[in-house]
Amino acid sequence: MSHGAADPTMHPEVQLSTSKGYFLGFAISAFLMLVATFLVTSHSVPPFGLLMVISVCAGIAVIAQIYFLLHIDISEHNIWNTVALVLFIPLFLITIGLTWWMFSQLYLRTMDMSVMSSAMQPAVHASATPGMAAMPGMNAHTDSGN
Amino acid sequence: MSSHASTVDPKKAELWDTHHHSHDVISTRTLGYFLYLLSDGMLFATLFAAYGVLSYQHSYFGGPTPAEFVKPWYTFAQTIALFLSVLAYGFGMNALKHKNKSGLINGMLAAFVLGVVFLVLDIHDMSHLYSMGITLASSGGMSAFMVLTQVHATHIFFGLIWILVMMAQVMTKGFTEETVGRLLTLRMFWHLQAVIWVFVYIFVYLWGYIS
Amino acid sequence: MLVDLPGGWSPLLGRLAWSQIPYANPILAPLFVAVVIGAIIVLGLITYYGKWTYLWKEWLTTVDHKKLGVMYIIIGLVMLFRGFIDGLMIRTQQVWAVGPHSSGVFGSLHGYLTPFHFGQVYSAHGLIMILLAATPLLVGFMNIIVPIQIGARDMAYPYLNALGLWITAAAAALIMISLFVGDFAHNGWFEYAPIFEMQYSPGVGVDYWIWTLQLVALGTTLGGINILATIIKMRAPGMSWGKLPIFVWASLSANVIALTSFPALQVALGLVAADRYLGAHFFTAGMGGNLMLYTNLFWIWGHPEVYFVILPAFGMMSEIFPTFSEKPLFGYITMVLASMAIAGVSWLVWLHHFFTMGAGPYVNTAFSVATMLVGIPTGVKVFNWAFTMYRGRLTFNAAMLWAIGALFLLLIGGMTGMMLAIPAINYMVHNSVFVVAHFHSMLLVIVYAIFGSVLYWFPKVFGFKLDEFWAKTMFWLFSAGTALVFVPMYMLGFMGMTRRLEYVFNTGWQPYLDVMEFGIVVYTLSVLAFFILLYVSVRDHAKNRVGADAWGTSRSLEWMTHSPVPFYNFAVLPHINERDEVAWRRQHGIDNVRPEHYEDIHMPNNTGVAIILGGLTFVLGFALTWRIWWLCIVSLLAIIVLMIVRSFRGDPGYIITGAELQRMEEEAYRREAQIADSHHSHPVSGGVVGNAMAYQRNDSSK
Repeated sequence: MSHGAADPTMHPEVQLSTSKGYFLGFAISAFLMLVATFLVTSHSVPPFGLLMVISVCAGIAVIAQIYFLLHIDISEHNIWNTVALVLFIPLFLITIGLTWWMFSQLYLRTMDMSVMSSAMQPAVHASATPGMAAMPGMNAHTDSGN
Repeated sequence: MSSHASTVDPKKAELWDTHHHSHDVISTRTLGYFLYLLSDGMLFATLFAAYGVLSYQHSYFGGPTPAEFVKPWYTFAQTIALFLSVLAYGFGMNALKHKNKSGLINGMLAAFVLGVVFLVLDIHDMSHLYSMGITLASSGGMSAFMVLTQVHATHIFFGLIWILVMMAQVMTKGFTEETVGRLLTLRMFWHLQAVIWVFVYIFVYLWGYIS
Repeated sequence: MLVDLPGGWSPLLGRLAWSQIPYANPILAPLFVAVVIGAIIVLGLITYYGKWTYLWKEWLTTVDHKKLGVMYIIIGLVMLFRGFIDGLMIRTQQVWAVGPHSSGVFGSLHGYLTPFHFGQVYSAHGLIMILLAATPLLVGFMNIIVPIQIGARDMAYPYLNALGLWITAAAAALIMISLFVGDFAHNGWFEYAPIFEMQYSPGVGVDYWIWTLQLVALGTTLGGINILATIIKMRAPGMSWGKLPIFVWASLSANVIALTSFPALQVALGLVAADRYLGAHFFTAGMGGNLMLYTNLFWIWGHPEVYFVILPAFGMMSEIFPTFSEKPLFGYITMVLASMAIAGVSWLVWLHHFFTMGAGPYVNTAFSVATMLVGIPTGVKVFNWAFTMYRGRLTFNAAMLWAIGALFLLLIGGMTGMMLAIPAINYMVHNSVFVVAHFHSMLLVIVYAIFGSVLYWFPKVFGFKLDEFWAKTMFWLFSAGTALVFVPMYMLGFMGMTRRLEYVFNTGWQPYLDVMEFGIVVYTLSVLAFFILLYVSVRDHAKNRVGADAWGTSRSLEWMTHSPVPFYNFAVLPHINERDEVAWRRQHGIDNVRPEHYEDIHMPNNTGVAIILGGLTFVLGFALTWRIWWLCIVSLLAIIVLMIVRSFRGDPGYIITGAELQRMEEEAYRREAQIADSHHSHPVSGGVVGNAMAYQRNDSSK
């Protein structure tokens, strides 16, 4: 059990560092960020598609970083880190997702949609009437104006 | 999971720990630190949730929105600085694997310098916004934008202090169980900042720019 | 960047001024005098008996998890008392200020508390009871029991453990000092947006609230990491997950919740601070802020926190029932799964605290169903406890009575919780005292489990039992108080009485309020009984000494080592063969087998750094509250520098040699033999046939 109290640099968690792995993590994530930045600045993709594409870029970059940089895998020395991460990820999603859901539902019921759709016009942009443009996920309802 | 029905013969059972298991100090330290980092991740998740609620058009109250001031290539430069810093620290850890002290120190020094570059770019960006009258008091949306990005920058700031401290410890104490354990936890901390930065960059800067 | 402050501010003292000291307040001023006199007496006694060195060396700088746990419990009991006094004040105001003709004193129109003061009292009551009484008490028990139950010598990070304690102590000190310097928050323990904003709450009350909570959150997160790492990494050889004692499982699930949920609280508070200090607009009405975002973020933490405090209480009950039923716990695996299920579902229910926000039928239905789901694992637990007692050899001692009382309260609180999970009912009784009665029922489950545990584990920690007569007296008084206070409260809730009334407009409610006031007087008597219990037990401690297995029917590993537990816990770590190792060894007559030889063991050194850091966090919290910026910077820098200095010094620890260990162990065994000789009525471990039969009976049924 005791891993080299004499020589801590022989500890397996030190030994699993590889320059190649770190470089791959860097290269993949930097490349994906480059792609995302290029797409965003070139305006070549419609907004919703763009959002999907850059989200995928972020997802792949994060997976690459977690694998290559944080060494998350199912080997004996990382298993508890992996278990902890796997338990946490649903909670991250719950925190952000359920919050977003309940507030989009709340806005749907408490914001005046007719004001919103008119505020979408660039002309209505005075500080006295706050601009309330359409919110993500509510497009289908903007016309009904409840 | 073992079943409850006893299969152990009490006459022959091993009653005391005779093998003298000493627990793995470094692994215990890294596990606890990883748990802390995950709770730090939850902190960011909550900030992202707040940002999600406060990034509607009406959250900016007619004031400036990220679409008006985010410069994607400027922030991309920050991204590369941070990623390179993380890479340099990784190379330093590879040197540690080969007991190469000067390689480790060089890697950490490069990580420090690149981290400073990231932070300077961030501070320059924020002071530029401040000069335009855009602060976290401008609107709810701007509050969420500023706090989320600057909490990340604060992490970088404390990470830089920690890198300096560890460089000093490696130089004065060498590779002891404590310094190596701390180098490993610092590696996790520093690398996690890159992971979180991906989310900040994509979903706050770039998404803010296009919406 | 910084917001404009209403009122004065000076660079040296921030917002602090003489006018902030309530020396003219007819309640606080005499209390302050009493506290000062009490403090002088205590400090004088310590000096007179020359105990400062002992106190510093043995307690204040200790990293021993048992002593830290005891100090957690002391903080918890002190704050429980403070919170109780707040409750007494609330009840007295409400029974007094009924109807327009009720009298008023001390500057109050009705009753004796002004609305502002009353608001502070109920806010402090809630915050203290949940975060500075229940939480430290439970963390204290987890601290003491978990390492011993898994056969470890200490926590994974002994120094971090001490740090967590002293940060919690700093939080307790901060809320206590708010009594005498400035005000406390007056908007309820969980606050509301936008009333906590600067323009509506210009005083320092909300700031005290922010930093007290931040410190508690920090301390609890550190403690949670420590307990999780301890359970994962420090188990004795042979202790597979299936053999983990049930209280350890409960602690594990609870601390998973703590670790994951407290960051949400820290963010919520941090954003409130950004609003109040930096002029941000997270929760303002207007300027793009969102009021309900605060409530949402708070309860993302708030509901998991409720299960963070109830799960260890369930664990305690799961230890007490088997011991005094002389049977193994019924349904161990379902119990574990139920704990984990509760921890998981706890993350899906937080909106039920604000159904009335109006997020609509889809959202409310989803959270309503998720809330009702909690009833399933909780029901599993209730049945498991009932089946544990079924055909068991029951001993109705005081610890068992508290556990059974907790079971009854859990049924009442759980059933009313199911009612509240239904949005249609929730809309009717939202913010009524029905809700108050419900969550008091649930939190009293925790209090009952804690008092049961105090009685159950006291002999393990101190080596003697508490007095049974006074413990039972206290139990019955406490239970009578509970019934008298909360049954009328449920009724008043249905009649429409809302919570936090400093003036009760409906004179028809007077009889109910009278009964509740009588109930709180009975509660007061139970507090007196507790003090007598402590006095009598300490006086007679020589008569009540116990051996390793204090109850003679214990099951889990903590009962294998000596009572009181030596500072190294186990001279030789046991090898675990069975889930209920102690019961198993007793059944097979091998519980008196001693280790053949002792090896050197390594222990951590004491450190004064933790208490100094705790003191500095208190200074930082105080400086932030009063906006004394230079002091903030100084204390923050001091904290960072001290942490760096400590990291350079490290802790080499020290070695206890095998020979020294053997000497101490033989001494302890000799003492235990004397105890066994001195009172034979005590069930001597070993040949109690009943235990073995009960053990086998359940075994063969599997």
